[in-house]
Amino acid sequence: MKTRIHPVLIVLTVLTFLFLLGPLVVIIGSALSDTTYLTFPPQGLTLHWFANIFEISAFTRTMGTSFMLAVGGTTLSMLIGIPAAYALARYRIELPAFLGNVFVLPILIPEIVLGFSLMKSLASGIGLPITLALLVGHALIVLPYTVRVVGASLNSFDFSIEEAAVSLGCPRIKAFFTVVLPNIRAGIIAGFILAFITSLNDVSISIFLTGPGVSTLPIQLLAHMEQFFDPTIASVSVLLMGVTVAVMAVVERTLGLTFLTK
Amino acid sequence: MSNRLRAWLLATPAILLVFIFLGLPVLATFATTFGDPKGPFSTYAAFFNSRFRMTVLWRTMEVALITTIISVAIGFCTAWVVARMPGRIKSLLIIAAVFPLLTGVVVRSFAWLVILGKNGILNNFLLSIGAIAEPLSMLYTQGSVIVAMVYLFVPLMILTLVGVLEGIPQDMTDAAASLGATPAAAFRQVVLPMAVPGLIVGAVLVFTGSFTSYATPQLLGGERQMMMGTFLYQRAMVTFDWVGASTIAAVMVVVTLTTVLVMSKAARKLNPMAG
Amino acid sequence: MTQSLTLENINAHYGTTQVLENLSLHIAEGELVSLLGSSGCGKTTTLRLVAGFLEPTSGSIKLGDRDLTRLPAHSRDIGLVFQTYALFPHLTVRDNVGFGLKQRNISAAERKKRVDTMIERVGLGELADRHPANLSGGQRQRVALARALVIDPPLLMFDEPLSNLDAKLRVDMRVEIRRLQQANGTTALYVTHDQEEAFSISDRVAIMKGGKIMQLDTPEVLYSQPANAFVADFVGFDNMIEMEAVAEAGDAVRAQMAGGVQIDLPKSQFTIPSKKFLFATRPEGLLVEPESTGSGIPAQLGMRTYIGRAYQYHCETAGGIVMANGPQATPLESGSAAVLVPQPEQCCLLPTES
Repeated sequence: MKTRIHPVLIVLTVLTFLFLLGPLVVIIGSALSDTTYLTFPPQGLTLHWFANIFEISAFTRTMGTSFMLAVGGTTLSMLIGIPAAYALARYRIELPAFLGNVFVLPILIPEIVLGFSLMKSLASGIGLPITLALLVGHALIVLPYTVRVVGASLNSFDFSIEEAAVSLGCPRIKAFFTVVLPNIRAGIIAGFILAFITSLNDVSISIFLTGPGVSTLPIQLLAHMEQFFDPTIASVSVLLMGVTVAVMAVVERTLGLTFLTK
Repeated sequence: MSNRLRAWLLATPAILLVFIFLGLPVLATFATTFGDPKGPFSTYAAFFNSRFRMTVLWRTMEVALITTIISVAIGFCTAWVVARMPGRIKSLLIIAAVFPLLTGVVVRSFAWLVILGKNGILNNFLLSIGAIAEPLSMLYTQGSVIVAMVYLFVPLMILTLVGVLEGIPQDMTDAAASLGATPAAAFRQVVLPMAVPGLIVGAVLVFTGSFTSYATPQLLGGERQMMMGTFLYQRAMVTFDWVGASTIAAVMVVVTLTTVLVMSKAARKLNPMAG
Repeated sequence: MTQSLTLENINAHYGTTQVLENLSLHIAEGELVSLLGSSGCGKTTTLRLVAGFLEPTSGSIKLGDRDLTRLPAHSRDIGLVFQTYALFPHLTVRDNVGFGLKQRNISAAERKKRVDTMIERVGLGELADRHPANLSGGQRQRVALARALVIDPPLLMFDEPLSNLDAKLRVDMRVEIRRLQQANGTTALYVTHDQEEAFSISDRVAIMKGGKIMQLDTPEVLYSQPANAFVADFVGFDNMIEMEAVAEAGDAVRAQMAGGVQIDLPKSQFTIPSKKFLFATRPEGLLVEPESTGSGIPAQLGMRTYIGRAYQYHCETAGGIVMANGPQATPLESGSAAVLVPQPEQCCLLPTES
C-alpha cells in the first residue's frame, strides 16, 4: 500500500518528537551531572544525586506517602468503580443514560476546584483527618479511569458466558468472581495501573490537602524547587520516569498502548 | 431481585462517592459565593469589577486558547503522519507520545525550568554560539508558560487524533479517489470533516486542561504570570480569602462547563453522523 | 462513453508474497465480467489494481487505449462500488452522489440536474437530504450505485457489493445492478465469492485461485464443461473418481476405476481427455438404482437424506465415498447394495492434475 507523506510533514513530526522527548533527556542528563547545579550536557558523571534522594527525609517520607496514597486511593476507587462499571455494561437498559456521565464528573470539574472544595468542606469543615481527605480525593479523581477502562473491557465481554455459568448452577456472585472477573483481568490491571500513575502524579488535589507532616512527592518536589536548584530534583524525576516506564510496560502487556488512542 | 434494583445497588457506592465528596463540596463552594452580607452577587460584582482579577481571567483564557491552537496544529500534523506509518514505527511513535503523557506534570514542567532558566540550557547554548551577549529572561513570561503547556498537551492531542484518524476507514479515501478527488481534495472534503468531532473533543480537553492548570503556571509563570489556578491557590492558602477563592472556583467551573457543552454541541452540529 | 478493459501479464506482490501471477484479462465494451473465488484468490487485489489503490510489480492495465498502469487513482475515471459502500457519513445522499461531479468542476446547476436524475433513477428521490446513517442497507447500496454511475464512467467496478444485504434484497439488487449496467452499456468488473450471484449477473465469469484465473467463460460453459478439477469442484461436481481408459468397446470407451470396476462411456457423449482422467459428477449425475436393475458403478448405500426433489445417499464405491441421488418414489434402505448409473449430461471428464 502506498501513501506518500509530504516531506515537510515528516520533518515536522521528527521535530515534534524531539520536542516531546528532548526535555526528558535533559532531565536524565542533568541528574547524572557531577555539579552542584543543574546543567546539560552533564559535566562528569555521578550517581551521587540518586543517593542524595535518600539522604533527604522529606523525599523518602513523601515517597512512602505518595505510594500508599496511590495504592489506597486506586484500590478504593476500584472497589467502588468495578461494580458501577459492571452495572453500566450489564444492565444498560435498566439504568438511565446520564449515569455514565456522572462518573466522568471528576474530569469535568476542574481538579483544582475539587481540591479546594475538599479542603474547605472535609478537612476544614467537618474536620476529617487530612490523610483521609487525601485518600477520598485521590479515589475520586481516578474513578473515571477505573470506570472507563474496566468498562471498556466489560463492553467487549459476552455476558451470555456469565448466564451459561448461572444456568449450570453457579450462584451469581460466584459467577462474577469465577467467570466475569478473570475475563476482564486485562482491563482491571490496566485501569489500576493508569489510575495509580494518575494519583502518583497528582498536584491539584494534593496541594490543598497537605499540611504539617503530610505531603506527597510531587508537592514536596514543588516546594524543593522553590528553594534549591540542585540535581536531586532531576534524579527524583528520573525515578518517577522509571515508574512511568513500568506502568507503560504493564499497559502494553494488558490492553496494549494503542488502547490509549481510543 | 429485579435487574433494575441489582443495577442500582451496584452503582450506588460510586454514585454516593461522587455525590457526597464531589457534588456536595463543590456545591458548598458555590454557596459560599452567594453568602456575602453585601448581597448574593456582590462577590461576582467584585470579581468582574476588579481590573487585576479580570486581567488574570483574560490571561488564562489567552494562554489556554493559544495553547489549544498550537497543540491542535502540531498534534494534527503529527497524528496524520503517525497514523500512516507502518506498524512497528507507529507503535514506537505511540510509545514516544505516551511516555511524556504518563510522566507527571511537575517533572515535565521542571524540565522547562532547566531549559529556559537564566543559567539554563537554552541561554548557555545561545551564549556559546554568540547569538546573544546577555542571558535572556525567558522564565516567568507568558511565552514560557505556553511552551510548557503545549509540551503538556501535545501528546494527548496526538493520541486522540491518531485514534480519530485511524477510525476513518481506508475505504473513505479510496472512494474519494475513485470519484476523482486528488489527495488534497480528499483530505479537505472527506478526512477533515470526518475528523472534526474528534478534533473538537481533543481541543476541549486541551483548553479546559490548560485553563485549569496549576503546577505549570506556578513553576514557569510565577507571581507575574498569575493564572486562574495559581490565583485560586493564592487566595485560598496564602491570603485565606475563601470567599474570593470560591468565586474564582465558580468562574472556572462555569467557563469549563460552558466550553464543554458548547463545543460538544458544535461537534454534533458540524458532523451529525460521526458523533 | 464505455471502453474495454485489458489487463496484460499482471504480477502483484504484498511484500514478498506473490498475490497475482501473470494475470491477463480482457473485458469487451459493455460486457460484465465477474471475478469469482474464495478469499485470498486475488480477485479483490485485481480490482484494487485496476482502481489504482495498488501498483502491479509488472504488467499493464489499459482502459480503451489509455494506459492506466501508473496513473494515480483519482485520474482513472472508474466508478467503484465498495463492499462497505464507503458512503461519506458527513454528507447527505445528494452530496454523496454529487461528490464525483464536484471533483470534475461541473457547474452547480448541471450537477444538481444530473444528481437529481440519478437519485430518481435509483428510486431515492424522497431521501435525497438524508445522511447515510439514516438509510437502510438497501438504500445505502443504491446511493453507492448512484454515486458510481453519475460520473458516467467508462468502467464500473463492484467489490462484493451485495455481501452486506439479506438474501431477498440481494436478489433484487443484483437485478437492479444488471439493469442499470445494461441500460448504460457500461463495461463492468464484478468481484464476488457467491457463485449464484456471479452466474446470474455476468456475461462471463473468471474463476480464480491462488492469484490465477482457472477458467474464464460464460456461466453456461463453466457450469456444464469445467476445464479442470478445481473449477469442477467449485461449480458443484462433488464426486471425482479417478479412471483410466483401458479399451475401445464399439462406440464407447471402456474405463476402469479402482477395484477393477469397469464402465462404458459412450463416445457420443464423452471425450476422453487423456488415458488417465477424472470422472466428475454432481450428485444428480449418478442415479441410484437397485442392484438388480442395470449396469453401473456397484455401491453399498450409507446414510440417506431427503433433499426435497430426491433422496441423496452416501455411497461407498471402490473409488471411495460418493454422493448420489435416487428417485423419490423408491427409497432404498441404507446398507443395501445398489448400482450408480451415470447421467451423461451431469458428468464430465477432466484431465488429472499433474
